Amino acid sequence: MSDECVGDAAAYVLGALEPHEAAAFELHLERCAVCREELDSLGGVVRALPMATRQYPAPKRLRRRVRRAVRHGSPALERSGPKGRLTAAFGGSLAALAAAAVAVVAIVGGSGLSGTVLPARVSGIAGSAQLKLVHGHGELVVKHLTAPGKDRVYEVWLQRGDAAPVPASVLFSVSTSGDADVGLPGDLSGVSSVLVTSEPLGGTSKPTRAPVIVARLT
Amino acid sequence: MPNPFAVRRNLRRLADEDLVELVYSGEARAFDVIYDRHSGPAFSLAFRICGSRARAEDVVQDAFLSIWRSGARYDRARGSVRSWVLGVVHNRAIDALRREAARGAGRTVEEKFADAVPSGEYTDTEVERRDDAERVRRALEALPGEQRKVIELAYFGGFTHQEITEMLSLPTGTVKGRMRLGLAKLRIELGDEANVVLP
Repeated sequence: MSDECVGDAAAYVLGALEPHEAAAFELHLERCAVCREELDSLGGVVRALPMATRQYPAPKRLRRRVRRAVRHGSPALERSGPKGRLTAAFGGSLAALAAAAVAVVAIVGGSGLSGTVLPARVSGIAGSAQLKLVHGHGELVVKHLTAPGKDRVYEVWLQRGDAAPVPASVLFSVSTSGDADVGLPGDLSGVSSVLVTSEPLGGTSKPTRAPVIVARLT
Repeated sequence: MPNPFAVRRNLRRLADEDLVELVYSGEARAFDVIYDRHSGPAFSLAFRICGSRARAEDVVQDAFLSIWRSGARYDRARGSVRSWVLGVVHNRAIDALRREAARGAGRTVEEKFADAVPSGEYTDTEVERRDDAERVRRALEALPGEQRKVIELAYFGGFTHQEITEMLSLPTGTVKGRMRLGLAKLRIELGDEANVVLP
């Protein structure tokens, strides 16, 4: 390693350097064999990292979309765009759902298979929330939600029956307008409630506060 | 006129590297084979990064169509076709994540809690892929938590070291040091697999 080395190979290969830092490191690489060697060595590890994720099959509809675009050369990509459908389903009444426990199941698209939207109860803070279910997978959509606050984050929990909630390992914050669209990984089979609490940054293993969002699936 | 089923069958016997050459010459059926071989890991990676099936689908679609349309060439010297495809997906997913962050949307840090694939659907290739995935996942999980966290935040979360520094209230040197130590340990743990795990 040369005198100029600051040990940036790992951050570089992980894509964690700021653009100007990455550019400087690339210049440095041209004259530092040690860093080049380290980069080569760590590059193989980073190329393996994608396989550390849980493996899912790609949806069949995605294959159809890609094949169609390839065959027809469509420059404008189709988008999955569930938001438009959700908004249409509820018209302009999202705000009215804000703090109410509305046990109404809205079927999107006229078929229970295409998507189910469960309004969720929001307590103690402003905003509204819905849980969208498609083929056993969930997506939590929040609107105009109060921000979790400094050094805090919203954490998602899954509850099965009367058992204690377990972390869904999903942390999120909201945009300046209080919106977020949060994917819940995996299958929600057996889950009776999806809960959200405000927790310290980094999340916790058990809820430390009362839930601010509760979506009941059963 | 060649039998299309025979052509497809023959294409499926070709190595990825040969298929990529056909893709660049405009052979859509070769592209289909590349898609079928790598769309699962591509979708899994995009889903891990984006935290949303819908966004993951968009990212994977963008990535594969860029491979179909772009003039960027696959370079055998830089690894397997799968690692190249996943590199394209990773870049697109992180770009999407950062664009959303720039627009003020929430950033999600997540891990999976359940497997959505019914075991009856596994093919031999799927099983092999899942074995690879399990091996890498175990190696990552074996890292000390503080090292794993900075690696996951950077690679899957798209956070820069400065953002991680602020998030974890740590000195920059500590964050970079943990990245370096963590990757070095993974390198040792995976051994040569780090270079061949993506066949």
